[in-house]
Amino acid sequence: MAGAEQRVVAVIMVGGPTKGTRFRPLSLNVPKPLFPLAGQPMVHHPISACRRIPNLAQIYLIGFYEEREFALYVSSISNELRIPVRYLREDKPHGSAGGLYSFRDYIMEDSPSHIVLLNCDVCSSFPLPDMLEAHKKYGGMGTLLVNKVSAESANQFGELVADPDTNELLHYTEKPETFVSDLINCGVYIFTPNIFSAIEDVLKQKKDRANLRRVSSFEALQSATKALPADFVRLDQDILSPLAGKKELYTYQTLDFWEQIKTPGMSLRCSGLYLSQFRRTSPHLLASGDGKRTATIVGDVYIHPSAKVHPTSKIGPNVSISANARVGAGARLINCIILDDVEIMENAVVIHSIVGWKSSIGKWSRVQGDGDHNAKLGITILGEAVDVEDEVVVVNSIVLPNKTLNVSVQEEIIL
Amino acid sequence: MKALILVGGFGTRLRPLTLSFPKPLVDFANKPMILHQIEALKEVGVTEVVLAINYRPEVMINFLKDFEDKLGITITCSQETEPLGTAGPLALARDKLADGSGEPFFVLNSDVISEYPFAELIEFHKRHGGEATIMVTKVDEPSKYGVVVMEEASGRVERFVEKPKTFVGNKINAGIYLLNPSVLDRIELRPTSIEKEVFPQIAADQQLYTMVLPGFWMDVGQPRDYITGLRLYLDSLRKKSAARLATGAHVVGNVLVHESAKIGEGCLIGPDVAIGPGCVVDDGVRLSRCTVMRGVRIKKHACISNSIIGWHSTVGQWARIENMTILGEDVHVCDEVYSNGGVVLPHKEIKSSILKPEIVM
Repeated sequence: MAGAEQRVVAVIMVGGPTKGTRFRPLSLNVPKPLFPLAGQPMVHHPISACRRIPNLAQIYLIGFYEEREFALYVSSISNELRIPVRYLREDKPHGSAGGLYSFRDYIMEDSPSHIVLLNCDVCSSFPLPDMLEAHKKYGGMGTLLVNKVSAESANQFGELVADPDTNELLHYTEKPETFVSDLINCGVYIFTPNIFSAIEDVLKQKKDRANLRRVSSFEALQSATKALPADFVRLDQDILSPLAGKKELYTYQTLDFWEQIKTPGMSLRCSGLYLSQFRRTSPHLLASGDGKRTATIVGDVYIHPSAKVHPTSKIGPNVSISANARVGAGARLINCIILDDVEIMENAVVIHSIVGWKSSIGKWSRVQGDGDHNAKLGITILGEAVDVEDEVVVVNSIVLPNKTLNVSVQEEIIL
Repeated sequence: MKALILVGGFGTRLRPLTLSFPKPLVDFANKPMILHQIEALKEVGVTEVVLAINYRPEVMINFLKDFEDKLGITITCSQETEPLGTAGPLALARDKLADGSGEPFFVLNSDVISEYPFAELIEFHKRHGGEATIMVTKVDEPSKYGVVVMEEASGRVERFVEKPKTFVGNKINAGIYLLNPSVLDRIELRPTSIEKEVFPQIAADQQLYTMVLPGFWMDVGQPRDYITGLRLYLDSLRKKSAARLATGAHVVGNVLVHESAKIGEGCLIGPDVAIGPGCVVDDGVRLSRCTVMRGVRIKKHACISNSIIGWHSTVGQWARIENMTILGEDVHVCDEVYSNGGVVLPHKEIKSSILKPEIVM
């Protein structure tokens, strides 16, 4: 039984096609969790972090994408990491706690002692083994990974207050209007199986309230555009807020990098963060070259083995080049993601940009953003199969799939 | 008789609507665009329609299966693995079109809305005895198009002039053809243009005739023309089958309301409005020059003009939507919000006003 006590199951929330709309146009072609950062699908990074947890029995991905979108990835990663990875599809969004609850029978199949829950669109070094040790020491129902951010940016996240001595979560509020704290929720949690009874309590309260409301339907009539269904349970508002200060929840602060990946611009930044993590953890994945037999490489660069990069081109820093891409003679790439089957022709320049699958960038053309990851048009994004013709300049623009650009554009969204 | 409809590619000009459905399945006047054409073809005795398509054929096939039975017509897809232009698809579908009967077959461009006077076209084609007939339509600015120059009396084509600088005529190709099977012998299986390569050849042999399209004609491949096209279509419906248009104190001009849609009290609807199946329009709503697609809910006191509201969207109370606003599928505009020309991609919630034309990703 001692072994069973230690068993851990990981759950990664991946969302669905009607969520993550801010990730367009890249999410028009591929589910956001499979978009490559540093050459690996976004969800690969948390999965390989989970792999480092001792006694990990199983990894579940929960979302409402169709099964077939994840089938190939799930089977290949299961083989590669030699750990069972399964995709569980929700029939509709239930909220992060509701989604977890709806698959409780699967999750509890291996009788785990601990459940690691994390959001897929988080970029972090995921210090899960250390966090698990801390969680066991705290002895609560749950531990949250937290991070200190600037006071100005804190209100985009769940702000929280923790006891400086015991690390207990004392107060939690989601995206407050006024400043509460610069400590924020990272979307990475460790729970004991008791979390399911906590969710059950919330569900029961909601049902009681819904029954009450039926008596006086005035409130229901006045409610917002889209009312939340009764089986929708959010982790933040419905679980974390009410349980704060009750010696149930604790915090573990990360001192390493942490970002949220909501927009294509942020994915470029996060790709860079993962590349620099590779420099420390798996330098063999990074390219090198001095311009003699291979291209000149500057800083952290990932090049897929099947990509063909001309030796007279210069690549980096923060560039990742996916499968079967071709980079022509004399091309220059800086801070960009080049996706599968892209062709960059001779003497073209790509800076602060993401170039979508099967796109082609003509000779002496230039695709560029100003590099502001948070601005709406700060990074130039080309969707799938966009053709930029020779000598055309594309600056701070977003281009949807299957378009041809034969004139230069600046600060535009091209439908 | 057989017919080929050139469906083609991605319909990027009609985004954001074509992000949810292939263009031929986008509703126009409460029914997918392509059904207007298929129903008109069925009327004149066409038994098989071939769709030349190079994008998401499975979506089309699944959708059209239901209509095969309902209409009693065979619908098949001829999928291009690479874009073949406007003539290549004819060569690809050759075996389906040339069935040995010797009957001519129709070729239609899927973007075009008109009254589809196919019976007259067949009659005209048989009378002149040439190999091919193309329908032409009169336009105000011929210099934007390829102009067809013909002998006025017989309609026989003399030549084509692409984007003429000086006036040579005002009739352009309307994208509706009736061709003898022998035309297929003139087309190779490669990317080629029927307008630029095949027709000039037939014209040189004095075998190509034109018929002036009676009634209206509109290429509804982009939102502004889609809205104009709806006006023309409803005008034509008024003349031909006025009983299908809505009547009542709350109706102004030509308005098409699906039988399953519900309209509240104190609304004013029209002119030039189409309200699709299952829509719910609450009390005190004003709609003019707009299309409201299947499953949309318009809440009380909202006001919409010159806009397209995509499938299953909602428009909040006292919201105002105007000036070529296009809401994609499942977009939710909150109460009291104003959209002046917002183009909104599917599955978005609009919580604050869009004051000038803008794309919301």
